[in-house]
Amino acid sequence: MRRKGVLPLVFFVVFTLGTLAWTFIVGNSPVLGLDLQGGVSVVLQPDGPVENEDTLNQAVDIIRNRIDALGVAEPDITRQGETVLVQLPGVENQDRVLEVIGQTAVLSFRPVLQTLPPVGQEVPTTTGAPTTTAGDGATTTTGPGGATTTTAPSTSTTEELGLGAPGALTPGENAAGLQATTTTVAPTTTGAPGTTVPGSTATTVPADGAGAGECAGVEDQARLRQNGVPRGLNDEGVTPSDEVEPCNTVVLAERDEDGNVVTRFVLGPTALTGDALSGASAGLDQSGVTWLVRPTFRGGEDGIDKFNAAAAQCFAAAPTCPTTQLAIVLDDDVISAPQIQTDSFERDQIQISGDFDESSAKDLALVLEYGALPVELVPQQTQTVSATLGEDSLRAGLVAGIIGLGLTVIFMVGYYRLLGVVAVVSLTLEFALVWVLISYLGESRGLALTLAGVTGLIVSIGISVDSNVVFYEHLKEDVRNGRTFRSTVDRSFGSSFTTIIKADLASLIGAFLLYFLSVGPVRGFALLLGISTVVDLIATWFFIRPAVLILARSPRYRNNYAALGMPNVEAGS
Amino acid sequence: MTDDMGTPEDSVVEPERSGLRANLRALYQCTNDFDFTRLFKRGLVIAVLVSVISIISLFTRGLNLGIDFKGGSVWEVPVTDVSVEDARDVMEGVGLGDAKIQLAVNADGTKILRVQADVTEVDASREVTGDLADLAEVPVSDIAVNTVGPSWGDEITRQAQRALVYFFIAITLYISFRLEWKMAVGALVSMAHDLLLSVGVYSILRIEVTPATLISFLTILGYSLYDTIVVFDRALENSSRTVAKTPYRVIMNRTLNQTLMRSVNTTVATILPIISMLIFGALLLGAKTLQEFGLALLVGLTSGAYSSLFVAAPIVSWLKEREPKFAYTGEAPVAMAAAVDGEAPGRPARRGAARRPVTPAAPVGAIPPRPRKTKKRK
Repeated sequence: MRRKGVLPLVFFVVFTLGTLAWTFIVGNSPVLGLDLQGGVSVVLQPDGPVENEDTLNQAVDIIRNRIDALGVAEPDITRQGETVLVQLPGVENQDRVLEVIGQTAVLSFRPVLQTLPPVGQEVPTTTGAPTTTAGDGATTTTGPGGATTTTAPSTSTTEELGLGAPGALTPGENAAGLQATTTTVAPTTTGAPGTTVPGSTATTVPADGAGAGECAGVEDQARLRQNGVPRGLNDEGVTPSDEVEPCNTVVLAERDEDGNVVTRFVLGPTALTGDALSGASAGLDQSGVTWLVRPTFRGGEDGIDKFNAAAAQCFAAAPTCPTTQLAIVLDDDVISAPQIQTDSFERDQIQISGDFDESSAKDLALVLEYGALPVELVPQQTQTVSATLGEDSLRAGLVAGIIGLGLTVIFMVGYYRLLGVVAVVSLTLEFALVWVLISYLGESRGLALTLAGVTGLIVSIGISVDSNVVFYEHLKEDVRNGRTFRSTVDRSFGSSFTTIIKADLASLIGAFLLYFLSVGPVRGFALLLGISTVVDLIATWFFIRPAVLILARSPRYRNNYAALGMPNVEAGS
Repeated sequence: MTDDMGTPEDSVVEPERSGLRANLRALYQCTNDFDFTRLFKRGLVIAVLVSVISIISLFTRGLNLGIDFKGGSVWEVPVTDVSVEDARDVMEGVGLGDAKIQLAVNADGTKILRVQADVTEVDASREVTGDLADLAEVPVSDIAVNTVGPSWGDEITRQAQRALVYFFIAITLYISFRLEWKMAVGALVSMAHDLLLSVGVYSILRIEVTPATLISFLTILGYSLYDTIVVFDRALENSSRTVAKTPYRVIMNRTLNQTLMRSVNTTVATILPIISMLIFGALLLGAKTLQEFGLALLVGLTSGAYSSLFVAAPIVSWLKEREPKFAYTGEAPVAMAAAVDGEAPGRPARRGAARRPVTPAAPVGAIPPRPRKTKKRK
């Protein structure tokens, strides 16, 4: 009889302390959410309805790849319904991450029809007007073996470029980039707008062009002005983003780091999309000085063939691609407009060169490799928390929690005396168990403890204490009604525990629904509420009940009603 | 006194005679016996009034929605000697002259410049971040930014509404199944009251509603429900043990007295950490999120404690008294309390029971008689 109930208590205490020790030994600790340690959080949602689940999962995978490629520690990229939540705790270079995540639009290749200067900088169409300064506009796509052959008469190429594309490209600083990579096949590019080069049409080019084939007759010719520039441009002189369609002729801009327009391009219909790419890498050329980007296309009809069809037209300076440039378009911005230097490429022997440094080359490679999201995702919420603010919040939460806990402890011990002490020990054990669980879930499932979660924990102090209070008040009432403490523990507990289960189940229903129907912080809160509710039920059964039973059997305390904070019937009568 | 078992020293009348101290002692000793039913009507009227005021305020003043609901950006910049005017100049420079700008000083002397503007594009927001970093002469990474698109708020509102509807349905089913459908009605009305009151306070005082507020409101519903279920569970137990025909308000009154200390103590134990969160976390350490959580929780907990007593209980009493067994006949509830406590047949009443050792296996025919106070305790 004496031993009854002691076993579960010992088991519970040993289990809790054991797992706690294990947590410390293994080195598990709660993963802090980004609002507590600083970082970037982005909530993305698809633009328009999503046709099937797979496209979203694919998009999440692509974003995950991009983030991984950036080398972020412990990224948390989850899909919740149609929402994609990207959380990057501890990220310092927030701008770069935002940029890479932000580039979620569909990647496409479009032939360049004309090059225009930014609005306000229009100059007479003279040859080689020095209107651009950035290097990307002068990038060159080189053919097989491009990296090894650097003996090209590059100066002539550069001049020819200047002549051939009115107002587009600047000799000078770009020349270095071109020199390093231009191949022997290069200097055939003499195409002024509308000029075809007869000798270059050796490869068979479909008459209707590569991508334009799907678009034949779609475009309303009335949209174009006489000079071939579409109407309806915005203040910056580019086509508004809601009018950018794959089959339209559009004006898109290349921008510098501050978002200012550097060059505008009149672009033909999309020739191919990022789907055709299988990967991309950045690297140094043979000389070890210049950074290059090497895209790899998929084989066959949907990959390299499409690209070659477009390349052949551009190389031939056909009417669909008079400038010989093929623009890489992402998010309605021209990332780069390399010149096509040959009419046929091996799928893995293509190089994009230009005025790249290591960072911009790698970023372009990332965009090329992972840029082709199957669905366009729009950032709905972007949150950046500085590390210092996160630390402050964590400190405030901890201080508030400890003081709050202290006040509760004082209250419980003051009111319930020895029973209060049992409650406090139980609270401590429960907290240890929740800590173990959070740490474990943090390490294994990436569960992050956010400020909402910390609040959930502080709030769960109340839930945990409540189980004690329900039980103790029942005990007190029974004792008041004439039962002895010892005789009533089991009876009171049974009755109280059904009440506790009924009420806790309601809490669990709430937590469960919240977890599955919400996104972001509410979800973290619901999970912690659920965890602490379950832990509370376990602790009530395995700790509070046996602990009170032991008190009730103890010869020292079982009749010491004052120490138990109970009404003393015996003494009173 | 219609209570044939009562004595002049009965605790029924004692608390009213002996003032606050005796009342508190009665509470501690579990001998309290207040007449809550007297306050039922008044309590309900107040609840209805408060709800109506909340609804009116909601429709006329609306809610002060944070950027998470209406879209926009908030920047929090640690500053040393930047004035609100300086920040205003910067914001006007980028065409955002109508930005809300506040300067908060934490207890440890650090200052945080909080700028809120109608910027929903990430790129535009980053530009402002750069300008503010220049102004405060801090690195961009020290600035906390939150940018929310214009449609995101609708999305989270929709989610919250959906969660709420499902929650109400699930809880109704659950309570109907585990307790009684009439109690489900009481619990629902009482939760609706808590929600209305909390939202009303936010509307009247124009406190900003954030996702943290949303979470707090949901927590409030949880607490209120928990409270209500504890009371109802006891009422069910009491009514099933009451053999004689007894008005339900008598049973409910007894139940409320039995569960009062539990409600009070739980509320105190829960409110202490929340007050600590407000005072130490928010006021002294300046954690805005803690303040957002704490305020809503404080309002909601108070409301929840009130509604369990004066909304849920009267409604269930009223619904139950339509059943013949529990019909109200006009007696004073406190006077009839003994009917709930000790009219089980064959049960020795009062003192005798106090000494009698009762084994846990004793037949549970009725709630044991409420012991009468002895003269010595006075």
